[in-house]
Amino acid sequence: MNLSAKEAGQSSPVMILDKLCKRFGGVVAADEISFTLASGQIHGLIGPNGSGKSTALNLISGVTDMDSGNVILDGETITKEASYMRARLGIARTFQHPRLLKRCDVRTNLFLGSDLANMKKHSSPFTLEQLMEAAGLRLDLGDSITTMSYGQQKLFEIVRALLTNPKVVLLDEPAAGLNTKEMERVEALINIAVKNNAAVLLVEHSMDLVMNLCHVITVLNFGRPIAEGIPEEILSNEAVIEAYLGRGRSA
Amino acid sequence: MILKRRLFWMVAILIAVAAIVIPLVSSNYMLRVVNITMITYICVLSMFIVFGMAGQISFAQAGFWGVGAYITAILTVKLQLSPVIAIFASVLGTGLIAAILGLALFRLHGHYFGFSTIGVVMILNGLFQNWKPVTGGADGIGGIPAFGIGSWEFTSEMNNFHLILVIVVAVSIITYIVQRSALGRSFMAIRDNEIAAKCMGVNSYKTKIIAFTLAAMYCGIAGSLFAFLTSYISATTFTFPQSALYLVMLMLGGYNTLAGPVVGTLLLMLLPEWFRFLQEYILLIYGLGVMVLMVVMPDGLIGGGKKAYESIRKRGWAKQPSNDIG
Repeated sequence: MNLSAKEAGQSSPVMILDKLCKRFGGVVAADEISFTLASGQIHGLIGPNGSGKSTALNLISGVTDMDSGNVILDGETITKEASYMRARLGIARTFQHPRLLKRCDVRTNLFLGSDLANMKKHSSPFTLEQLMEAAGLRLDLGDSITTMSYGQQKLFEIVRALLTNPKVVLLDEPAAGLNTKEMERVEALINIAVKNNAAVLLVEHSMDLVMNLCHVITVLNFGRPIAEGIPEEILSNEAVIEAYLGRGRSA
Repeated sequence: MILKRRLFWMVAILIAVAAIVIPLVSSNYMLRVVNITMITYICVLSMFIVFGMAGQISFAQAGFWGVGAYITAILTVKLQLSPVIAIFASVLGTGLIAAILGLALFRLHGHYFGFSTIGVVMILNGLFQNWKPVTGGADGIGGIPAFGIGSWEFTSEMNNFHLILVIVVAVSIITYIVQRSALGRSFMAIRDNEIAAKCMGVNSYKTKIIAFTLAAMYCGIAGSLFAFLTSYISATTFTFPQSALYLVMLMLGGYNTLAGPVVGTLLLMLLPEWFRFLQEYILLIYGLGVMVLMVVMPDGLIGGGKKAYESIRKRGWAKQPSNDIG
């Protein structure tokens, strides 16, 4: 399942992040974050709390403006584009805490994004039924969405993102707070996205999920990338172990 | 679907019956009250668009209502233009002013935007009050002709009733269509979660300006009709409390469905007529009523009614009698 890092680097890069920087006052949230995402590949982004993972997603999706750096999608620089434009260009995302339209029905929640994205130009290869089945959701389009549990809401957000047939999917801790069954469903949905040749950027604390699923992993610490490679390399990387466990006393 | 079609016919028949019966049974005075109520309803619908759907609290609506009225008054009285031109100019002029204001005001978010619209209604009112050469200052503008197309004039109260009713129905249908369109869904997405809406591809800045402009155009047409109906306008009508009243009517009826503005406007406009003997206490009752309502039924009468109906159904009170026994 895992490609070697070299092989992964050769598959077509769909998104290039070039030295993304962001400061909040004196705090450096992103310090020259650079990596590339390739179609059909799952890229893990991990790091201790506060290491800038969510900030990186916000910079890529345009929710936060960056201080410097460039985001390049399909060879086009989209750094200056607003978040809604990036969404229409094919960057879909989910949120750490689900952001659903609470007073709207299922239909509005699901199709607003796909109406506005380029859904009509290149039709989605998977149907809503397939996605809902994979997510284990049974909903009518006219239903209110307030009846869903937390886990279901998170799965629903992934379905909503995939329905837009995105080139890049950004998932912000999709498995946090989910039970085993729901985590399997997250995995199934991610695999559907990969089959559809989307590039997936997965921010996640569950090491099992990241190590099983990701082709390449980037590790952040204090906003700065400290390691990149295939899961096996990351697990044995000194800098990564130090970032997670602290500096060992010399024996 | 069948239920929806049935609802459509029920509403259509209700409107037709109202169109025939109300002029027959009402005195001229009562007909005037009904006409003003319908004009107010258009303004409450405008609040429904900008607040109910797009979630942007706006107190500028009474100001836009005034802009519509003054454009009509100035064009027909001072420039002697035809009423048909005046009504279109009112709608477009109000929309244009709202669009330009929206460009600036939607740099602000949430409550800050709401506060800025209080400024808008106050500035507009100051303009009506003090720009004497154009708005007539405190004297207002009188002698506004009745609406007419060519030689066909809407002079009587009953003529005006039919004119306003047609426009009320048209504006309601437009609102219904907007609510179900992609544009309406974008409005509601912004209301529910602006960041999520942006990440779903909604240009929230532009969409909010569209909502604000559309709502202002509603007020423009309401203002124009008001000027034709009363033939005299002055600045004291188009004030901040009037905007607050629209908001209260919307909240009272409920801001989730189109039925809310209808119920809210009818109650607050017609009840005072029936409870005239309570005169001095009516504002006190309003205030208390709104407070109780917000606690007991935060979704307004329509939302609260729906909830009550559903809970009754769940408990089985509304069940069909079963055939188990006998």
